[in-house]
Order: sequence, then C-alpha cells, then structure tokens
Amino acid sequence: MVETTGRTTSRPVTACLSSGKGGVGKTSLTVNLAYALAQKGLRVLIVDGDLGLANVDVLLGLQVKTTIRDILDRGADPLEAVIYVEPRLGVLPSSSGVPDLANLGPQDHHELGEILKSICGHFDIVLVDTAAGIGSSVLWFNTFVDYNILVLTPDPTAMTDAYALIKVLSRDYRRQNFHLLVNQVKNEAEARQVYEHLSRVASHFLNLTLDYLGGVPRDASVSQGVRNQMPFIKVAPQSKAALTLFRHAERLRRWTTPRAGTHKTAGKAGG
Amino acid sequence: MSKPLGSPVSCPLGADDCPMRAESQRLREECARLREECARLRELSHTDPLTGLFNRRYMKMALEREMERTRRTGLPTSLIMIDLDYFKRINDTYGHQTGDDALKWTSGVWRKNLRRIDILCRYGGEEFAVILPGTRLQAAKKAAKRLQTALVSSPLELQGRLVALTASFGVDTYTTLEELTARNFLKRADRYLFEAKINGRNQICCQQPETAKLTPEVTVDERSWLLGAAAPPATEMDREKRASKKG
Repeated sequence: MVETTGRTTSRPVTACLSSGKGGVGKTSLTVNLAYALAQKGLRVLIVDGDLGLANVDVLLGLQVKTTIRDILDRGADPLEAVIYVEPRLGVLPSSSGVPDLANLGPQDHHELGEILKSICGHFDIVLVDTAAGIGSSVLWFNTFVDYNILVLTPDPTAMTDAYALIKVLSRDYRRQNFHLLVNQVKNEAEARQVYEHLSRVASHFLNLTLDYLGGVPRDASVSQGVRNQMPFIKVAPQSKAALTLFRHAERLRRWTTPRAGTHKTAGKAGG
Repeated sequence: MSKPLGSPVSCPLGADDCPMRAESQRLREECARLREECARLRELSHTDPLTGLFNRRYMKMALEREMERTRRTGLPTSLIMIDLDYFKRINDTYGHQTGDDALKWTSGVWRKNLRRIDILCRYGGEEFAVILPGTRLQAAKKAAKRLQTALVSSPLELQGRLVALTASFGVDTYTTLEELTARNFLKRADRYLFEAKINGRNQICCQQPETAKLTPEVTVDERSWLLGAAAPPATEMDREKRASKKG
C-alpha cells in the first residue's frame, strides 16, 4: 500500500548532495541514504537534480514515463511523475541527454521551486542528487534546500572541486553550513583526515566551520549494487558501507525532528 | 498639446436641450484626445529619420526589455557601442551632406552584417549601438569584428575618391550573475568604447574574460594548501573559533 498520498507535513526537510567533481558516488549515496531513511519509517523523496544527465533512474532500473522536463514544459502533474520504488520512497526523475535542461534560466528555477514546494509536503525528507560541477542548476538547488551535503573522496581533485563549490556557495550565495560526506575511504581515520584537512583550509580562507557527516568505506558490495541496479543497502545490508550509511542516515533523520538549536538556514530560492 | 476646444457646441435651431448637442460635444472632445495621442505617438516614433535605423529612444527601451528577458530566461544580453573614427574630418573636408551620406552608407553596411534579431540604432551623431539579444560575450565580440571588417572593406566614394571608414567598438555583456541597470550597462559599454578610442581607434575593446564571475576561483594559495597536505596545524585561534561556533 502506498500510504503517502493525502498526508502532508507542515515542513519537510530538504537536503542536497553535491560534489564539484563527478564520479565520487553522489547518486549512489543519495539513493542508499534514501533507502535507509525509508527503512527508518520516513517518507522520502529523491529528486534527480542532474537535469542534463539524469541517472537515479539508471541506478534503480526505473521505467521513466514523466520527467521534470515534462512537468516544466507540459504542466504534467508532479505527483503523477513520482515513481514509488518502495511504499515510502518516491523518485522524481529527470530526463537524460537534454543539455539545455542542465542550465535552466531563473524563471524555470522559480517554477521548479514552486513545483518542488507543491509536492514536498507529502514527504518528511527530500534528497536532491545534483549534477557535478558548479552550473547554475547546481547552485540553485543548493540555495533552495535547507541542508548542503558535500560528497567527496580522498582524491585531491575531488577535494579541490568540493572546496571550489563551497567557496562559491558561501561567497556568492551566503550559504554557511556544509556537511561533508567522505566516500571511498579505507577507514574512518582516513575520512576524518580528509575532513580535517578541508576544514582547516575552509576555516583559514573562508572563515567557515565545516560539519563532519561521516565517511563511507570502499566496499565491493557498492559497485556490485550499481551493476545490478540495486542499492547496496538493500542487497548487502550487513556490508561495511551499508552499516556506516545507516548511521549517517540517523543523523539526517534527526534533522527532521525539530529541536532548539538546530541550524536550519532555510533556503531561499534564487529567482 | 491639444488645441483649446473653443466655445461649446450650440444647436443651430436654438434647442438647448437637443440630445445631439451632447453627442457632438463628446465627439469633439474625442477628436481632441486622438489628436493629442497622435502627437504623443509621433514623438514616441522609433526611427532615426536620416539612417532609418532605430533611434536612441527606442534603443533605451529595447535595452531595458532585453535585460528583463535576461533576468527571466537567464540568456545573456550583449551590447556594442560604436563610434566612427575621425568623422569630423569627413564633415570638414566634404561638407555635412557628404557626412550624412557616409552615415547612411555605414548603416546599410552594418544592417547587412547583423542578424534579424539584433537591434541596430543610431545613438546620436556618428555614434551607433547594437543590442544582441541572447548573445554571450564571445559571440558579441565576433559580431563586432564582423562589423569592423565589413566597414573597412566597403570603401565609399567621396567626390571621386574611395574612402574606407573605420570605427571603434566597445563590447559588453549582461548576465544574471550581476545586478545592473540599463543606464549602467550603457555606461560600462561606453567605457570600453572609450578605451578603444584612446588605444588608437579602429579596434574592439571588451570585458576581459578573467573578470567574468563564475570561475571556480580557487587561488594558488588555497590550491597548494588543498593539494600539498601543506595546511599548517590548526592554530589556537582556529580551535577557539571552531569551539565558539559549535557552542
């Protein structure tokens, strides 16, 4: 039974996973975090924010009928476009290979914002998987959401690109809170080290304090999951990667229970 | 301005309560209003009478409109400000009639070298402006180059002599990354035109790509810290800052 329709919460939490560099595992982590959150009883929506080169649908082997493009162009019903892969887990798909959608104009962004706001209420948490780089849509999604999660790997270019994105977002869009998720690490110590390193540079040059969300170990079950178009958290729930990701999902779950002192910098859509 | 309406309409039969009287009074007022409207529209007319190009008034209106389009669609708007070089010499040597002919000639050459969506205006005197809707800086620079080449390679005959005119160009582009009024956009493009003039004329000056905003802008220092594992250990101040922010 799909029990999500008709029920709305006042204000769901929105978060976006970005990276600067491509191929660091953004989509995979978004999907697996979403599964973990759904298993914790939350109603979750994944928005495929890679508008030009969508791949959430590929990762999950979905048959996409209606995409964000159709909603913007034809006024298709956004709720109809959502594909439920689990009773509590919906995916709002994008269209692949439509380069002009990768960089929507301010008017399109405004409309996209309205569309997302109109369906967000049916979920407790919305995770946006953005494109790589610092294109206008990546920046827009990052200003639209409450929480900015940066995915990176110990690879120096991944670190530099993540830093570049943080710099642009903090300087030009006044975003202050960034949560680092370090993927493909040998162990927790390596993840910490990457965080500390980037954190120090950001503190020195940008006067920013970065938040450590955690590390995700390199794990054979991850690549296997991608190949089988199944989230590793589902096919290998006891793997190291799955277990740590459940822990990180718990952090995200706590964001949805408001309490005093949480930092939510409510997003203002750049129109 | 409307002409005074004169004395009120009177009935030739002396029937002061005739319903036609009110109607003809209304028509008379309507005519006056239309005359006024006509005058206003004439004043608003968009054409430069000499060259047949859009005039300065229309240019300002069009620039506001295209900049609004940029804000709505995210597509950039480019602007080229142009000034014919040493035009005063033409007027002084050959007379003003020839000067006017040269302006007409130039307008014709440039009109043929622009797209249908581009808006070519006579800004005043020997100054011209081109608005290029939905056009990035690189493409606008190319358009300016095309206009420059077209003018140089189309000499006009002045009293039996072939004279090649040249012009200076200032090119600028407005994107959604900045807040800018049409007035300031014009001013900025004008500055590039001025630069082209003082640099020796017959050339194109424009915004340098380095100043375009959205480059990653990771400085050499930042990069070396990021890549070299060369970040110094957290200072006492760093630690304090972090502790106070967390608290």
